[in-house]
Amino acid sequence: MSDINKPFSAVQIYLSQRMWRLDAALILLVFLVLIGLAALVIVIAALVEFGGKGTPTYADNPAHFMYGSIGAETESGLPYAVWKALPSLYPADFKGRSDYSAFGFLYEKGPNGKQQDLPIGISRRTVNGIEVVWFNCATCHVGTWREATGASPHIVPGMPSNNLDLYRFIRFILDAGADEKLTPDILLPAMEKTGTRLNPLEQLVWRFYVIPRVREGLIQRRSRLLPLLAAQPPWGPGRVDTFNPYKLLLEFGPGARIPDSELVGVADFPAIFDQRPREGMQLHWDGNNNSLAERNLSAALGAGVTPTTVDHASIERDAAWLLDLKPPPSPYRPDGAAAARGEAIFMKSCAACHGWQGPTGYVFQGAGIGKVDPVADVGTDPNRLNSYTKAFRDWQVANLFKGTPYRFSHFIKTGGYANLPLDGLWLRAPYLHNGSVPTLADLLTPPAQRPKAFARGSDVIDRAKGGFQAPSCAPGAPLADGTFCFDTAQRGNSNAGHTWGTNLPADQKADLLAYLMTF
Amino acid sequence: MPYDEIFQPLQFRNLTVKNRIFRSNISGRWDNEDGSLTQTRINWESKFAHGGVGAIISSYVPVLMEGRIIASYATVHRDDFIPLWARLGEVIHGLDCKFIMQLSHSGRQMDLPGVHNLARPTLSSTSRKESLHGFLTQAMSKAEIDHTIAAFAKGAWRAREAGLDGVELHSANGYLFSQFLSSGINDREDEYGGVLENRARFLLNVIEAIRNAVGRDFHLQVKLSAIDHNNVVPWEKAGNTLGDTIQIAKWAEAAGADAIHVSQGSLFPHPLNPPGDLSLETLTTTYDAMIGSGVNGLRNYFLFRYPFLRPIFHWIWFRMKKGHVVEGVNLEEARVIKQNVGVPVICTGGFQTASFICEALREGAVDGVSIARSLVANNDLVQQWAAGHDRPERPCTYCNRCLISAMKNPMGCYDQSRYPDRDSMIEEVMSVYRAHGAMIAPGKEVMSS
Repeated sequence: MSDINKPFSAVQIYLSQRMWRLDAALILLVFLVLIGLAALVIVIAALVEFGGKGTPTYADNPAHFMYGSIGAETESGLPYAVWKALPSLYPADFKGRSDYSAFGFLYEKGPNGKQQDLPIGISRRTVNGIEVVWFNCATCHVGTWREATGASPHIVPGMPSNNLDLYRFIRFILDAGADEKLTPDILLPAMEKTGTRLNPLEQLVWRFYVIPRVREGLIQRRSRLLPLLAAQPPWGPGRVDTFNPYKLLLEFGPGARIPDSELVGVADFPAIFDQRPREGMQLHWDGNNNSLAERNLSAALGAGVTPTTVDHASIERDAAWLLDLKPPPSPYRPDGAAAARGEAIFMKSCAACHGWQGPTGYVFQGAGIGKVDPVADVGTDPNRLNSYTKAFRDWQVANLFKGTPYRFSHFIKTGGYANLPLDGLWLRAPYLHNGSVPTLADLLTPPAQRPKAFARGSDVIDRAKGGFQAPSCAPGAPLADGTFCFDTAQRGNSNAGHTWGTNLPADQKADLLAYLMTF
Repeated sequence: MPYDEIFQPLQFRNLTVKNRIFRSNISGRWDNEDGSLTQTRINWESKFAHGGVGAIISSYVPVLMEGRIIASYATVHRDDFIPLWARLGEVIHGLDCKFIMQLSHSGRQMDLPGVHNLARPTLSSTSRKESLHGFLTQAMSKAEIDHTIAAFAKGAWRAREAGLDGVELHSANGYLFSQFLSSGINDREDEYGGVLENRARFLLNVIEAIRNAVGRDFHLQVKLSAIDHNNVVPWEKAGNTLGDTIQIAKWAEAAGADAIHVSQGSLFPHPLNPPGDLSLETLTTTYDAMIGSGVNGLRNYFLFRYPFLRPIFHWIWFRMKKGHVVEGVNLEEARVIKQNVGVPVICTGGFQTASFICEALREGAVDGVSIARSLVANNDLVQQWAAGHDRPERPCTYCNRCLISAMKNPMGCYDQSRYPDRDSMIEEVMSVYRAHGAMIAPGKEVMSS
């Protein structure tokens, strides 16, 4: 082998050594460029992969109401893949089902006759390329009724979600967030089994970013909410504490506790039919707001939107549709003459506060309709009223949607409960704001004689008493049909008050009941 | 006689020159690769003797092959070259002109190393590579210094043996002596570096050795850079001041120098030596010969080759010329040096105007002037002055194309504006080859052994 290219002169030797340094620098440069290109490819892939955003849209207003996103997913939601995997990880909580019906979520049948993938009230939105699901308006405002046990349920958008046990669902989610089964080693295989396919890049991102972030979020929410939930009696289906979780998540800092005086704010989900005539009335059970739009936004915050993630257009679309949404006509067929007599009684004693059911629909008129009656006069449980405080009101007005046209300004602190119009009354059982009286007949009974404990969660109508079937039960003992034993002795559950009509003679009560069952 | 001062003889201690004009050291690659002289060199030097200069200072004559600046320049490192130099001396003397051999050593400033210097770094005072071209160097050991001192003494002895009229030590312009003298270059920590006295030791030892070799009665002059201006490459140190050089000149005189020859700059070429313009365009076709001589050659070539890079080199080079005249660029420094020494002072730097030179002589600023480029342009410059012309009809334009062509082409004036046409220019440049001697049949000494 000839050394013909071996450096010979001093200059050649120097230059060849310098060339080695240059070569090394060049190799380093090429290496850096390659790393840069690889990084660029990864970044572009990541942008394509995780840059996506959007949410499905629905042409149909009811479908939008039930499945369309209002913006709650971004901050509060669960990744769809996790949502799908949870039933397989916690079969006991899901009663062995692969869907969320065990918590009272409702599923429609799709066009193919199969159950829909997501229940009513759960919407999806792509956030940073990850599909996330969470609540919308329909979570709390779609319920069912049935003619009889075994009959198929009628799904009614706008009625209270009488099946949904939100308390149990929230506690389950918060506990799962702190549970080992939601670590990547267990969750990722469960996601695979329930149909999620991740490429290697996604595997990494999920293992080291998405899942830890989801857990971190749940653990934070748990640390804020669990002390409250643990201190409250279980809500039971169809009920929610509107303002206390909202205070803990938005107003108060870490470690804060709700003062005992405002600890239990649990009340029934309201029906949301016929919103147009309600504009200007004192809305919410305690009548703390008279603006439909502001009340809607406040409710959306309760569903998990934040001032930055809120989808105003979506909420406004729902609100517009709800303006004239009518409740389905009552299926009860009381004796017409009795109902006519009952109407006379109602017009004399009740209509001023509640409006009345006329021949062509509900009449939203009356001197006291939509106005607040002092709690001393109504006499119902004061806990819900007390949970909404002047201090919280001031914080809401000062902070929420500050600097936007949506800034809160209509909230007030009241001293009682609002007189509500009673349209769709047949779908709104159990009655009173806290759902402490199972039927209309019971509501016309003096408080002392009203049921002390009854089953909540049935959607089978009670043609005799007006409401859903609610047999008496023994508090603490689980019920065979999966319903919840509501104990009026628990804090916030008092069935006292609203004694109007309780002293009527029995025949007049029957007439009044017959009239009420036409609402 | 017009311009009488020019034509007064100049009396040195050991030499008398008929007038005050010296042909400064300049040459082309006329000679053989082994350093032996050729007919062409005799032709070259004769041009100027015919033209009337009082004395010719040879181009740099290396005393060792490792001290060549450009190959194919005659050397004086071998005794058998003495007859060749003697023949040259005879010819020049025959033309009523003196001939002073400029003894030199390139040190690190080795532009075209030649075959002898293949594969070895050049010797210098320092191991730091030269800043402009990136010439690689090796600091001389004391043994190498002693060897070099002896070589200078031997070179002077050979010049005297050849019957030449004197020697000049080329201790200016960045060659080996400069590399020892300059505080901007010499970074030695032995007795040849540090304070000025140490840095001057090499030069003074050479003078002493020469005196020991040739005696007191042989003309010996020393060429010095009045000011180093070593910071052509801007991050270099400035080097020696005029005060340093005055001290060196005094020491040189005391050691036995018969005259001081004043130049400028610690590298060659330098923005102030030779003064004038620099054609970066011409360098794109000549500097390529030097790319492989140092390790910065290619970088420099790019600076010349690409017009958008030229402003960089233009700034580096031309910033130093500001405030300096061309003709008599070193005159004021020479005047001060002359005031400080007792021996005659010769000054170089752009002289071409008779009246200007006369005034300098009349004032006693200098005793003589040395000229290179203006004599290349007009070999008969002195005769033109004698005929009463203050400046030649076609004066040197100081374009320096002669300088930057020397790496590739025969030495000559390449300013075509001075000629009727290109052919005339080439004919003039080639005139040096006209008279050739007889060709002989060599003996067996030409065979390889």
